[in-house]
Amino acid sequence: MVRQFRQLTIIGESINDSVPSTHQLLESGNLQALVELACKQAEEGADYIDVNVGARAPELMAELVRRIQEVLDRPLVIDSPDIQIAEAGLRAYDPARAGGQKPILNSISLGRIEMLRLLAIQPCKVVLLVSEHVVDGRTSLCTTAEDSYRAAQKLVELVRETGFSLSNDDLIIDPGLTPLATDTGGHLNRVLQTFVRVREDQDLAGVHFVVGLSNLTVMLPSKRADGSPVKGPLQNAFLTKAVPLGLDMIVASTSRRYSLLPAEHPAVRCLEQCIANPGLAAVLAVRDFYKSGGSL
Amino acid sequence: MSDYADLYQAILEGNAKKAKEVTERALAEGADPLELLDRYMIPAMDEVGRRFDCQEYFVPELLIAGRAMETALQLISPLLAEGGGARAGKVIIGTVKGDIHDIGKNLVISMLKGGGFEVIDLGVDVPAERFVEAVGNQENIIVAMSALLTTTMGYMREVIKALREAGIRDRVKVMVGGAPITQRFADEIGADGYSENASGAVGLARRLLGLASSA
Repeated sequence: MVRQFRQLTIIGESINDSVPSTHQLLESGNLQALVELACKQAEEGADYIDVNVGARAPELMAELVRRIQEVLDRPLVIDSPDIQIAEAGLRAYDPARAGGQKPILNSISLGRIEMLRLLAIQPCKVVLLVSEHVVDGRTSLCTTAEDSYRAAQKLVELVRETGFSLSNDDLIIDPGLTPLATDTGGHLNRVLQTFVRVREDQDLAGVHFVVGLSNLTVMLPSKRADGSPVKGPLQNAFLTKAVPLGLDMIVASTSRRYSLLPAEHPAVRCLEQCIANPGLAAVLAVRDFYKSGGSL
Repeated sequence: MSDYADLYQAILEGNAKKAKEVTERALAEGADPLELLDRYMIPAMDEVGRRFDCQEYFVPELLIAGRAMETALQLISPLLAEGGGARAGKVIIGTVKGDIHDIGKNLVISMLKGGGFEVIDLGVDVPAERFVEAVGNQENIIVAMSALLTTTMGYMREVIKALREAGIRDRVKVMVGGAPITQRFADEIGADGYSENASGAVGLARRLLGLASSA
């Protein structure tokens, strides 16, 4: 993996139940292969390794965390929306085996604030997912950057109220990147503007931002009409727009090459059209990108 | 009836403007709305689904074609209702409680509408009792559930249980879908059908209601 963004922290995404090949390894209980997957991602440059075991026994999460840490010194991301699975992972994590680095808990949102109590288990960093909020007692998706910014404010307030002494440097805001293939609701703009809004807030100075980068390009073909790739360039186009706004962490594939693209690159132009014309026109712009050829 | 193959082509290409123009012209020329639907519009969406299945089309094309279909449907729907209802059937759909992912569900809705179904969207985070309420005393309709999380898919079982307890399980067909869902899971929880993707959901819904595929 080549990385032109020195400031970009990469969390290897592969150990996730939603990845079909990993799902098979989890189904068959092949922990050794999962540990090897962690090592492979570390070799390819992952700064963190994400660990998501799906809806399985909390003990499996604990066991996998221990097994990975036996052979690897990278810090881990404990990734589960289930409080018991997340708790088991955090309890099993030994910072001494990762050069003293804290684990990252992924994630707490306003829809599951009971997970705040997990911050007491040990010093950790935490992903605050701000793509959802609670309106009239029901959890729903944020539709504007203002919704997401307010969710961030509220979550930070709740984290501080716990008294578990997390600093802004321990907080990682995830605006919830959604697929371009279906983004008729202006979510790309919501994500980018959330970075802007949070950075304007002095009280939140020093917080980090993360996105699940692969999510941007799911449901798209792998090649354009001329045979050039679709997904890598669109992901890089997003980074080209988002890194200057403060994005400094990605959950991503370690086998891709991440780089800044020139402004005239077709993928950047495609993304700019999506930004300028939210709605079905944005989806049309994406279709036109892969239906046409002519890469740089 | 004159040939309105342009309508088929407009929907296939996702050209909403052209779909609207041709439909308006056809209706002005006295075309039978039901025939427009059966001869051009639904076959166009079936072809969209076929192209999606063999990866000639991708999700953006599904959405764009779905929008063109909807544009034409809006023009002919009021006329169809007068003619005694020509819908393919009715689907009540929602993302189950605890889960607020709506992308897959909305795609399925778009394709079902394109396939001529009437769709009642209960939204996301839908508790079992809302599915039960929505069914009410209707019969021969479909209850469709979506979940994206392995931690929420189990709730589909609760919905089926609630339908059974309300005594209406036999009056509906239950279909399920979403990234973590498999045929095995669908069988385990006693659903009537599972589709891996949005285009397959249309054929499944037709089969479950005993409707002939127009493909």
